[in-house]
Amino acid sequence: MIESYELAVIGAGPAGMEATISAAGFGVRTVLIDNYPQPGGQYFMRIPSAFKVDYENKTETAGRKLINHVLKVPSLKILNCLVWGLFQEDNGSWLVALYGENAPKYIRAKNLILSTGSYDTPIAFPGWTLPGVVTSGGTLVLLKNQRVTPGKRALISGTGPLLFSVAAHLIEAGVEVIALCEANHILPRGIKHAFTMLKQWDRLTEGAKYMKTILGAKTPYKVGWSIVEARGHEAVEQAAIAKMDKSGRPILGTEQVFDVDLVVSGFTLTPNTGLPRMIDCEMTYQAGKGGWIPVRDADCQTSIPGVYVIGDGAGVGGAENARLEGKIAGASVAKNTGHLSPSREKQIRAEIQPGLHQQQRFGALLSDLFTPSVGLVSLLKDDTIICRCEEITLGEIKEAIRMGARSIGEVKMLTRTGMGNCQGRMCEHTVAAIIAHELAGEGVTREEVGYYSIRPPLHPLPQSFLADAVPEE
Amino acid sequence: MFRINKTSDMLPAIQRGKPVTISVDGTPIEAYQGETVAAAMLAAGIRTFHKSHKHQQPRSLYCGMGVCYECLVTINGVHAQRACITPVEEGMQIETCKELEL
Repeated sequence: MIESYELAVIGAGPAGMEATISAAGFGVRTVLIDNYPQPGGQYFMRIPSAFKVDYENKTETAGRKLINHVLKVPSLKILNCLVWGLFQEDNGSWLVALYGENAPKYIRAKNLILSTGSYDTPIAFPGWTLPGVVTSGGTLVLLKNQRVTPGKRALISGTGPLLFSVAAHLIEAGVEVIALCEANHILPRGIKHAFTMLKQWDRLTEGAKYMKTILGAKTPYKVGWSIVEARGHEAVEQAAIAKMDKSGRPILGTEQVFDVDLVVSGFTLTPNTGLPRMIDCEMTYQAGKGGWIPVRDADCQTSIPGVYVIGDGAGVGGAENARLEGKIAGASVAKNTGHLSPSREKQIRAEIQPGLHQQQRFGALLSDLFTPSVGLVSLLKDDTIICRCEEITLGEIKEAIRMGARSIGEVKMLTRTGMGNCQGRMCEHTVAAIIAHELAGEGVTREEVGYYSIRPPLHPLPQSFLADAVPEE
Repeated sequence: MFRINKTSDMLPAIQRGKPVTISVDGTPIEAYQGETVAAAMLAAGIRTFHKSHKHQQPRSLYCGMGVCYECLVTINGVHAQRACITPVEEGMQIETCKELEL
């Protein structure tokens, strides 16, 4: 017997928690599903329950309150559980396929809210597969959540304000930070955004706190510089950096080499869009929002009626934006299921709109300054591994393009890029950038290159489980 | 590659869970309840989690949030588990660089 719900919310980060609180609060029969043992997502991830800490900061307090709130709201929570497939039935309902120790194999839902967040944009460079090259997000989780450092001497390279947070946390942890490299030439463009910045007082004070630590440690902040190669045998031993030109290509002769055991790579975030792609939501390419994102209406509803995508998974916009979108989508589902009057829903949306606009303005500022440059593909060498899982090099991808591949799907078929364990999440950005770069002369755009199509299972699963996964009535 | 034991503004001191012993490739290492397998291995100075299939290159934790599948290890005989999202348990047997036997 498969349990039926009016709404399944997939992903319990800031967006999914707010959507659940909103919808379930209006009486929508809701199930909330997450991969981790506790709600919170990456942004509000709590320290492990076996750890004790006496102090919590403002973000942690807000997170704890939201988590406690969602846990109290009458709705089913299925935690420690992967969603590996979504299948639409003849009557329009969704069969949500689950894999988790204490989870049912399937649940059924009339509406879906997908709030699957984002992950660090994986930028490939020579040596990026060496142990000791770690993303910003991975570094912060280790420091904040586990109180373990991934190295002793670090170089930080990437783009965006998250780098300040990584640098400050590493320094306070006792890691020597050799340099903080911001790849984009942000200073000339930053001036026009000064007014928008001033309205973001919380973010400014947080940034100032990080800057104080970074300046105190005399860590060089190098604007217009980037990692060009990580070197080492069994792990990172050296990092080479270079000055970048305006199009994001390294300038010959500017290279500097440092002895480090950690390279933190933080080139902003990419929306996690596996589920909306799997069910063929219409997608659009927006570099400033992190790449391919679902097309949505004002209610955050996709091209498929009853399917909503909210938060960073619909375009990177941060935790506050995600929370507001969660409230909007939750109210919209409540209206569509008859739990909330259309006039009240309209009123709720009007109340949220000003805050949402402010978040969107700030998001536009970030994407103007910090979108990773397309010129970064010039860092790659023919023997650089691009697809980590299947170990496909730049040379092999270029060969496939010479053979006539013009889209990422065709490169995948010819080379096996994107067919490994990560399902293409780690190489898609770089493979697409390579194709667009190689075929720029023929006018091929990033949009035309396309994205990897995603089919169930979304995650690698044991075959013994899948063999037994036929739904029964 | 070390546990942070000092206290600071952004990383105030914490009390870890109770100590447990796990084994990595037959060598006992100390860990604490609440830690992930990846955190305990890094704190013990272990960097290579698995070797790539084709070229046998060392690989390790990259994304740290369960997305990249680069921190795969064998845990209690079960192949290809993500060390970054698996909590340690007393007596856990970890094997790095183990080839899948078909």
